[in-house]
Amino acid sequence: MKPSKMKTKEDTWKSDELLKHIKAAQGDHADDSSKKSRERKRHKDEESVGTSDSREHRHRGRERDKEREQGKERVRNKDKERDGDRHKEQEHEKVRKKKNDERERDREQKQERERERHNDRDRDKERVQKWDIDQEHSTDPRVRIKDKEWDTYAEKHTKRGHESERHRDKERDRKKERDKLQEKGTEKDENGNQRPKHRQKKDKENLELEMDEKYERKERKHRERKEKEGKSTENNEETKEKKRRPSEFRDEDYDRRYKEHKDHGPHDGHREKREKERREPGQKAGIEEMERKHRVRKDKEDGKKQRHKDIKDSAVEWKDREWEHKDREKRDWERKEEPQRKHKHKVKKERDEKERRGDYTEEQSVKRKKERRSIQETTSESKRKGSTKEQIDSQKKPTETLTEEFVEGEEIAMESQSTIESSNYDNDFEDYEDDFEEGDCEDEEVEQEREEIPARQRAELEAIQKAITAENEQVRETRTRSHRKTFNEEPNRDFENSQTRGPARGTFIDFAAAKQREIISKVASKQKKRSLELLRLIDLDFSVSFSLLDLPPLNEYDVYIKNFGRTNTKQAFVQCNEDNVDRDIQTDEIETVEKWTQHPGEGNLICGGLLKCGANVSDALSSVAKNVDSRRLTNFLRSACQVISVLLEEEQAENQASKNLQSKAASLSVSDGCSQLNTNLAFLHGREVLCLHFSPVQRQILLSIHSLPKEPGVVQLASSYMVCVWNIWEPSAPQKVLVCESEVQCCCFGPDNVISLFAGTTDGSVVAWDLREHSIMHCSLQIGGQEWTFRTPTFSTDGVLTVVNHSCAVKAVYPVSSACFDNPGVGLSLFSSQEGRSGLSFQLATLDESGLLNLWVVVELQKADFAGSLTDLGLIPGGKIKLIHSSSIEVNSFLPRNLVQLGSPKTLSIRFLPSDPNHFFIGTDIGLVSHGTRHGLQAAPKLYKPQINGARPVQVTCIDFCHFGKTLFLVGCSDGTIRLHSVITERPIIQWNDSTQGRPIRAVAWALTRPGMFFVLDSASHIYVWDLLQNVSTPAAEESLQPDRITAIALLGDPEKPGASSGLMLAMQTGAIEIQYLMKHWSEPHLNELETLHYILQKTA
Amino acid sequence: FKTAVVKAKINNVLKEELSNMFYNPEEIPYVTKKIAEAIKTRVKECAFDRYKLVVQVVIGEQRGEGVKMAARCFWDADTDNFAQAVYMNESLFCVAAAFGCYYY
Repeated sequence: MKPSKMKTKEDTWKSDELLKHIKAAQGDHADDSSKKSRERKRHKDEESVGTSDSREHRHRGRERDKEREQGKERVRNKDKERDGDRHKEQEHEKVRKKKNDERERDREQKQERERERHNDRDRDKERVQKWDIDQEHSTDPRVRIKDKEWDTYAEKHTKRGHESERHRDKERDRKKERDKLQEKGTEKDENGNQRPKHRQKKDKENLELEMDEKYERKERKHRERKEKEGKSTENNEETKEKKRRPSEFRDEDYDRRYKEHKDHGPHDGHREKREKERREPGQKAGIEEMERKHRVRKDKEDGKKQRHKDIKDSAVEWKDREWEHKDREKRDWERKEEPQRKHKHKVKKERDEKERRGDYTEEQSVKRKKERRSIQETTSESKRKGSTKEQIDSQKKPTETLTEEFVEGEEIAMESQSTIESSNYDNDFEDYEDDFEEGDCEDEEVEQEREEIPARQRAELEAIQKAITAENEQVRETRTRSHRKTFNEEPNRDFENSQTRGPARGTFIDFAAAKQREIISKVASKQKKRSLELLRLIDLDFSVSFSLLDLPPLNEYDVYIKNFGRTNTKQAFVQCNEDNVDRDIQTDEIETVEKWTQHPGEGNLICGGLLKCGANVSDALSSVAKNVDSRRLTNFLRSACQVISVLLEEEQAENQASKNLQSKAASLSVSDGCSQLNTNLAFLHGREVLCLHFSPVQRQILLSIHSLPKEPGVVQLASSYMVCVWNIWEPSAPQKVLVCESEVQCCCFGPDNVISLFAGTTDGSVVAWDLREHSIMHCSLQIGGQEWTFRTPTFSTDGVLTVVNHSCAVKAVYPVSSACFDNPGVGLSLFSSQEGRSGLSFQLATLDESGLLNLWVVVELQKADFAGSLTDLGLIPGGKIKLIHSSSIEVNSFLPRNLVQLGSPKTLSIRFLPSDPNHFFIGTDIGLVSHGTRHGLQAAPKLYKPQINGARPVQVTCIDFCHFGKTLFLVGCSDGTIRLHSVITERPIIQWNDSTQGRPIRAVAWALTRPGMFFVLDSASHIYVWDLLQNVSTPAAEESLQPDRITAIALLGDPEKPGASSGLMLAMQTGAIEIQYLMKHWSEPHLNELETLHYILQKTA
Repeated sequence: FKTAVVKAKINNVLKEELSNMFYNPEEIPYVTKKIAEAIKTRVKECAFDRYKLVVQVVIGEQRGEGVKMAARCFWDADTDNFAQAVYMNESLFCVAAAFGCYYY
């Protein structure tokens, strides 16, 4: 449908173009008129060459036209066919054009075009003829039958050439016009308004003139059609009529054209005049321009003509061709073969031309070629028959008019539509007239393009013919349809266009095509009807829309995963809080380090951790525990710690205080130096030292008992008695500080070591401290910038064990080594034995004033109970030492009855026989020392009495065994007497009565390194040094320390290491503790001193 | 116009043509036409004689963008119908729709 549509358009324009020309002729439009005038000028020039010929030709043409009218129908049919052929050709060629690489094809096309041109010419000629017939049959009654066909041919040629020329001109003009258009935009608009009026006028005239003829023809045609298509319906008949109508219009147009032509006459001047006349009423403005153009055209054509004159040589050929043409005309109905011949002829001719003019190349512009050819033809023909140019020229206008008349039928629709199409087609043209020109031009261009292809070949001619035939048929089809549509009054644009084409193309009437068209239209109408009926039944809707695809965009995570997945990796995630699978709750993994601690601290490991592999903390701990002998380690640490601290102290002392200490040496004659323990501590300040006691095992460890302070220095401790454990080599501070609520009367270390300490109090309780306990178990105080741990008793019998406990003040505490039971006869002294006895399994003897001797078993618990024991109420939580009551001995039962009758004597002190702990000696307040055993038979002597008989109210204040020989002991009494006893005799060996001038003896102490020497302290702070080897009767030296009173003494030294330093510990009332280092001759034992002593004693006794 | 049947056919065609195919902007136009033709011939085999067929094939690249396609038809909903199938792989998606219009 499309190609036909296109064609329709073009056709429409063609007709409209003609219309425009008519207007131009009327002088409405300067441009149009100028165009026309140009063309006319050209014609004039040509005619000037052969005026007579042209005139002749015209005459002939007129005559022939008359004849023609009689066979008009035939001609019309022919024309129709031809018309169709042309259309088909065009179509085919268009298609072919695209492929035209080969020269042969080019040639072919040229031939075709030539053929076409012939057809055109024919048509034109026919038109002219008709016109002639219509208009001039009265004036030109001559019938030229023989010349008729020839004339037709010639006319065709001329017309064709003229037409092509005209087209070319138009093209040119249009170009100019385009330029002008922009300039004269307003002018044109005005013209556009005027144009329709003119057209209408003309149409009216035409109608009046040709009414009669039209009617006749219509009827005739109708009849003929009916004969052919017996089956055709009334509708079809109508259609036929309508179809016919255009052709009738055409005829009428021709008539008119011819008339005009006649009026103008063949003379150039006349025509020019007419042109001018036309122009004048319209627009005088364009006249000058037109004339200029005419001139230009003239010049051009003159040049061309000269060129053509050369072709006269080929006059013979031309004649042949003419003859052929005549033949062809005779075989009017066998048209199809004719083109071939014609073409052959033309091909020949053109080849010749080409040969002649080598300068004309194929590439030369199409326009020029065409011009050339057309001019050639024109000239040649004009030579032969006289120029038909005049006729053609004049024909132009009538043709246009005719077209317009035809168009008038559907005037309004046409105009509007053409405008629309024109606007689609070429936007440059605002006027539809211009558009028509454009359409025309395009037709021409197509032709030109075809011409451009130079190569020609016969071989393809047949194919072309076929194509032509096909085209013809198609045209017929479209025509039929268009006609039908028009008469059904269905304003279909396409159909209208096609309808207009027919008339535009002129005189082509084909009954076969019409028949076909009719059939087709019938079918179409049926279909239409059906579709209409169906449409009533069918509901078309587009309410539902279908979703074909809905692909949601990927979110960021998906994109990430997509990209991630391509990298051949895997993704995993870990979440520490497994039951909280929510993104918001996810947290970083918390770094953990395992550490442990323990409260209260037990052992040396209280806290730990920070092991590199945290998972194996417990394992590592256990392994450490397994590998390390913790006891050994702790022992080592303890001793090492002490050693180190001692070393540090010594160094310090050496550095700063050695002179001070040495300076004090002068205080005692027996000493060559002294040092002081630092008791100037806040919590010790103002406390009197009640007792000093060296550890029997570790001789440098000293404990001191401090009374309540006279003025409270540290408030918290003001009500507590204190026991300090010192290392005399570390004098700056006590190693441990023990506190006790009640007054401590006596205290002692454990027998084998210094890890435990026992004390008796005035309220009858026995308390024990475990020095191994960690300091965190006890309360610590920050005193004087230093932290002190005040240890409370681990175990106390206070308030518990009330049945067996002491009811009065405990006067003495004394450890009983169990080892002594195992080896009763071994060794000189229990205390001197350094054999390591493990554990704390030993007995403790405590003696109170009432003479009750309690024996306790010291038990060390394997496991501490930090929660506190429910059964052992005296045990502090976490404590490991407790006392279990073993046995009780009523000491007074050993005393004679006569002594007891006076009242139970107070027992003041107790000593165990170092060689046999089973025996104990108890000092009483009646001046007697009772001798008892813990178990077994009563030992003799029961009592040790002074030399003077009887019991006296004299307190035995102290008893001390000699460290050598084991059987001698000294007894100090409150009346100032000192007795030296042997354990085997009741009476003393030696008794000194007035050595102290009657002052009570506070303490007696055998020297640790020399058997024949002892120290005596009286209550007046006098120290007497006795050297029995030197002098038995009087002390070897007497010292008194002023102003301070000495409250207690203790002897430093190791009996087994006589070379070691020995000294005298002096405790002052002010709380100071001094060490007086004994001079060498006092400390070093003499040779056979013990034997000498025995001898002296025997001699004395 | 049996949607299910046609859909199965379209699916088959898509699978045959597009399996192991990656999006290549140069060759996709041809593939699209090829698929459209294949679908048309396949559907014609189903003997929907009175139906005019319109086959539309769209192939696009998968880049994570969202795509929405919809169709709207001005037709007789009683007789006319369409079938549509989607094929997707990692690099492309293909939507093929076949519309059948009953020809009275």
